[in-house]
Amino acid sequence: MSDIFKLVMKRLGLGLVTLLVVSILIFFAVELLPGDIAQAVLGQGATEETVATLRERMGLNDPAIVRYLDWLGGAVRGDFGVSLISGGSVGDAITQRFLNTLFLATYAAVIAVPFAIVLGVLVALMRDTLFDRAANILTLTSISSPEFFLGYVLILYLSVKTGWFPAISSLSAGMSFGELLERTFLPALTLVLVVTAHMMRMTRAAIINLLASPYIEMARLKGMPPWKVIVKHALPNAWAPIINVVALNLAYLITGVVLVEVVFVYPGIGQLLVDAVAKRDFPIVQACCLIFAATFILLNLAADVGSILTNPRLRHPK
Amino acid sequence: MSVFVIGYYTILIAASCLAVYFERRRVFMLLFSLTLVSFVAGIIGGVGALRTITTLAAVLSLAAGVSYAFKEFLVQIARPGLARELRTAPLTAAFGMFVIFTYAIAGIFAPWIAPHGQAEVISTSFAPPDANMLLGADQLGRDIFSRIIYGARNTVGLALAATILAFVMGAFAGLLAAVKGGWFDQFMGRFADVIMSVPSLIFALLMLSIFGTNLFVIVVVVAVIYSPRVFRLTRAVAGNVVVMDYIEAAKLRGEGDWYLIRREILPNSTAPLVAEFGLEFCFVFLLIAGLSFLGLGIQPPTADWGSMVRENATLISFGDVTPLIPAAAIALLTVAVNFVVDWMLFRSSGLKG
Repeated sequence: MSDIFKLVMKRLGLGLVTLLVVSILIFFAVELLPGDIAQAVLGQGATEETVATLRERMGLNDPAIVRYLDWLGGAVRGDFGVSLISGGSVGDAITQRFLNTLFLATYAAVIAVPFAIVLGVLVALMRDTLFDRAANILTLTSISSPEFFLGYVLILYLSVKTGWFPAISSLSAGMSFGELLERTFLPALTLVLVVTAHMMRMTRAAIINLLASPYIEMARLKGMPPWKVIVKHALPNAWAPIINVVALNLAYLITGVVLVEVVFVYPGIGQLLVDAVAKRDFPIVQACCLIFAATFILLNLAADVGSILTNPRLRHPK
Repeated sequence: MSVFVIGYYTILIAASCLAVYFERRRVFMLLFSLTLVSFVAGIIGGVGALRTITTLAAVLSLAAGVSYAFKEFLVQIARPGLARELRTAPLTAAFGMFVIFTYAIAGIFAPWIAPHGQAEVISTSFAPPDANMLLGADQLGRDIFSRIIYGARNTVGLALAATILAFVMGAFAGLLAAVKGGWFDQFMGRFADVIMSVPSLIFALLMLSIFGTNLFVIVVVVAVIYSPRVFRLTRAVAGNVVVMDYIEAAKLRGEGDWYLIRREILPNSTAPLVAEFGLEFCFVFLLIAGLSFLGLGIQPPTADWGSMVRENATLISFGDVTPLIPAAAIALLTVAVNFVVDWMLFRSSGLKG
């Protein structure tokens, strides 16, 4: 037991270090800005006094390392400084939107994960049939399409032509849960399509890899019924790759969410990030990037820890 | 029961019977399951659904026919060794090659193919299609068809440039790391880990917000984001080659690192690298399309598929499919490249199943 604990702790420590390095990268990337942030924000109409005032207000006169520690300390407590454009607190602007994004991603994941795993296993069992070929081509097409293409196709056919779902997911306070689910159905469906395709392909590959191993053939040769081969022999070993696949794809959702939010004008953190990039509002950009990167790293971490826990072989590295 | 519906089922059932008679099991299964699906679809969706199925089937068989012809054409003009390889290519790969070929033609000869210039305002905004403009006009009154053709040059060209840069950087670093080993290898490995631990779109947005959006910045940023993937693969492939005896022999002969990379390692690791180039192109292409959709890619008035979708998105709410064409063009090229890469991977690894 202590072995597992040590291994998991080691992996968690490594994840923490990665997170720290990434935060350094995000913070100091802005330092690479040619010239000065204050100058870049004020543009060409800046006089020397306004630049000096802004520098003072943003604390730019401190050395970079002090500002980094300040920023990181604030970020841990949820305080990301003030927006350069509106002057409001970044933390306040982000909180509600982050919850919205989280809701959308969870919505998509709840549909996509069971759906993709069941389909992936089915396709793996029926490999080299017509169904498998068709699924291969369909998933490949779905992966190859940009998220905004899928989003607009869904808008065109499920909203404009048939009027089944709203094309724009405007959320307001006090909406009932059912209404919320209906409003956000199309963006969630877009994400489901993209993620399901990835997840199905990876599940299929993992299962096929497994079914090729000698002990499965042995089970089959001794006359076990196929469903029993899967449930009793293949599945216990398949958990590790499947957990991996799920976590990796949830991480993939994060990138997809940005484009989908823009297509459906969904009030989430991705939309905020894109707006901030266009306006060059660096505190917001940094905060959003940090949140996205942290979620990404955490999910990858979860994938690793999950596979350590489900696969005894990984507990004894050679 | 219209003539169309009767004809539709007659043809399907007759073809199924023929397939059974000639003992083509797969063809029969395909045709007959199509018949059964049509029953259900016809009851639910009426004649419209049947017409859609017919159109889809026609498009599919047209695509299959074109790919088959294109494959035979390639087999005829290729060298004997290559021709044998090509003959075994599946139809999907042939289709992929045909699409890539078409895009290349459109991109290279864009100014001659496109009837109007990409920034030329020739009509009122959102003018409907007419004899002069195949797909109508966009929000500023420019010809959408011409802009799509020019987009093949601009968007694909940009993605290609970024991929090549990413590939050169990643492959060079990977080969060097494999040959040198030691701290350089470790350092590059950790560096790649850090870059890969940030989602690519997020990283690109961060960098573009800092350096602004011009073509040079986009190419470099995208190349930096995707080079770690190439680095890892090259490092792994070259790592297997470096331990071979002939490398040892070359080292004992006193050959330098550069000679080892160029004459010994590279020729023995081309197959996976070529396939990786295709995959890498898909990733880069989708990222660049996403960025330009967000308004952070190629800046107007240069035609670009991603931004064209965004600019004309209002047309979608009127039930018009025109804005989706550039997006479909992106998807089609990515699918095509993936098909070809699939075949190459299959060929180089000898994987079955």
